[in-house]
Amino acid sequence: MQRGGPSTGLPTKTEQADLMQAIYGRNGEAPIPVIAPKTSSDCFWAAMEAVHMALTYMTPVLLLSDGYLGNGAEPFRIPDLSELPEIPVSHPTDAETFQPYSRDPETLARPWAIPGTPGLEHRIGGLEKADITGNVNYEAENHEHMVKLREAKVKGIAKSYAPTEVLGDPTGKLCVLGWGSTYGAIRGAVDRARAAGMSVSQVHVRNVFPLPNDLGEILAGFEQVLMPEMNRGQFSRLIRAEYLIDVISHPKVQGKPFTSTELLIKIEELLG
Amino acid sequence: MTVTYKKKDFASDQEVRWCPGCGDYAILNGVQQTFAGLGVEKEKFVIVSGIGCSSRFPYYMNTYGFHTIHGRAPAVASGVKIANPDLHVWMVTGDGDALSIGGNHLIHAMRRNLNIKVLLFNNRIYGLTKGQYSPTSEAGTRTASSPMGSLDEPFNPIALALGAGAGFVARTVDTQIPHLRGVLEAAHKHEGFAFIEILQNCVIFNNNVFEHIVSRDIRDDRQVDLRPGEQMVFGKEADKGLKFTPDSIEVVSAEQADVWDPSGEAGAKAYRICQGSERGDIPVPMGILRQVQRPILENDIHAQVAEATAKQGEGSLEGLLSAGDTWTVS
Repeated sequence: MQRGGPSTGLPTKTEQADLMQAIYGRNGEAPIPVIAPKTSSDCFWAAMEAVHMALTYMTPVLLLSDGYLGNGAEPFRIPDLSELPEIPVSHPTDAETFQPYSRDPETLARPWAIPGTPGLEHRIGGLEKADITGNVNYEAENHEHMVKLREAKVKGIAKSYAPTEVLGDPTGKLCVLGWGSTYGAIRGAVDRARAAGMSVSQVHVRNVFPLPNDLGEILAGFEQVLMPEMNRGQFSRLIRAEYLIDVISHPKVQGKPFTSTELLIKIEELLG
Repeated sequence: MTVTYKKKDFASDQEVRWCPGCGDYAILNGVQQTFAGLGVEKEKFVIVSGIGCSSRFPYYMNTYGFHTIHGRAPAVASGVKIANPDLHVWMVTGDGDALSIGGNHLIHAMRRNLNIKVLLFNNRIYGLTKGQYSPTSEAGTRTASSPMGSLDEPFNPIALALGAGAGFVARTVDTQIPHLRGVLEAAHKHEGFAFIEILQNCVIFNNNVFEHIVSRDIRDDRQVDLRPGEQMVFGKEADKGLKFTPDSIEVVSAEQADVWDPSGEAGAKAYRICQGSERGDIPVPMGILRQVQRPILENDIHAQVAEATAKQGEGSLEGLLSAGDTWTVS
């Protein structure tokens, strides 16, 4: 739940300034997935996705909301239980075949052995471990191998995403790219601009890490990419680094959300 | 079903990486011997540790183990125990991990009284980081980080545990294996949180720091083993004893010694006997300083859940989702 920083900062105000910390805030090369809900009601689905992801891939998942969503309210269509995804989990019991650091070939997840299961006694913890056996291991090559393995596991999560939606035409002059709680303000501005005949589309990223596999290709279909965010341009730096696209960062750090009118003015300025 | 084990059943196949001569070897040996004799299935043990030399302990035990984060072992151990009350959760920590980095976690774990056993290896130094003074180093200790002598007064771990309300508080010594095993067995039998300070020698960075207490030639005179229900007797010939007076603790003959009651007077005697005795006239208290029965947190948590379920039913996700201010759109 992000709020105006630094430290206690603006405790009741909103900001998106913890993105870099969420994505890169861990010791060493140890990526974790980060999910940013886009509306108050989306918090429900984002949390569901986070739990599903955590248990499928056996990884911590960061759910990155902000003060605007936390203090916001909107009608929420109560889902039928049958709409909720199954979250299957399994626990090994076979002592003959169990290896604590073996991996599921599809997800690269490690097995989840429950303490108390006979014959599966093993040790986990912060020291680097050998692949498969999970014994403490300080070898140089093993460490690099394990770093790459953890990276591949988290990157692989992007394969499970639904295709990225483009609101408006799939290609055009301008794409307004956002993440998190700016969804509503951007949507309002883009709708109004499109109604006025402007060539503008909206793409909103919910899985801010790892990024969707189709995002680069989508962004390449636009002449310009505008990125409003409530920080000094953290997500725009990620997008520039990842796709070498010269995005136009549109930062706002006032503890207040964007209004669709101020975004519309920016869109008009770029397309005018 | 009664299970029988040998000590080696509790040894993992990993090479032990403590310095040669470290007191941790003796403790590991004592714990493995003790666990083998408790009649508990091996898979029911979970050893949780923090960070530091002591906290490598889980890797050397052939049980479930979790080498967690600095000072935070009590939080992880609490979670393991609450989720799995039938597991035997033992926590291994050191003076820096438990009392400095994780001081807050430790006192609240003691206050909450989960049925967890905590072994605090106290060597009065940060050994893994090569010898900085720790929260149990005596004032004036010269180390790499206190070349002119440390200025701050140390914690007395026993007094801290008593103050935080631990139901079982004991002290033993790394190399006094029979005593150590006796204390571990008593901790295992105690229902509730057990805090055990183990005086442990760091042979490299703080060698012989407890020599004035544990040296073979003087230890009978410098230690008194507190055994519940027995007289407080000490000395090579077991001819001396301790007696509480209103203002002090006096050395008397063995016959005149008070009987030790670790449950009485809200720990007042335990608090008095653990204070300031190290360099004083009376011997240093070992054994069981405090043992009282208190409500156990995980039992109460599960009882509260059962009570709520009995009153309100199992509950349903559907019910939860449609609770509160809802309406139907047609």
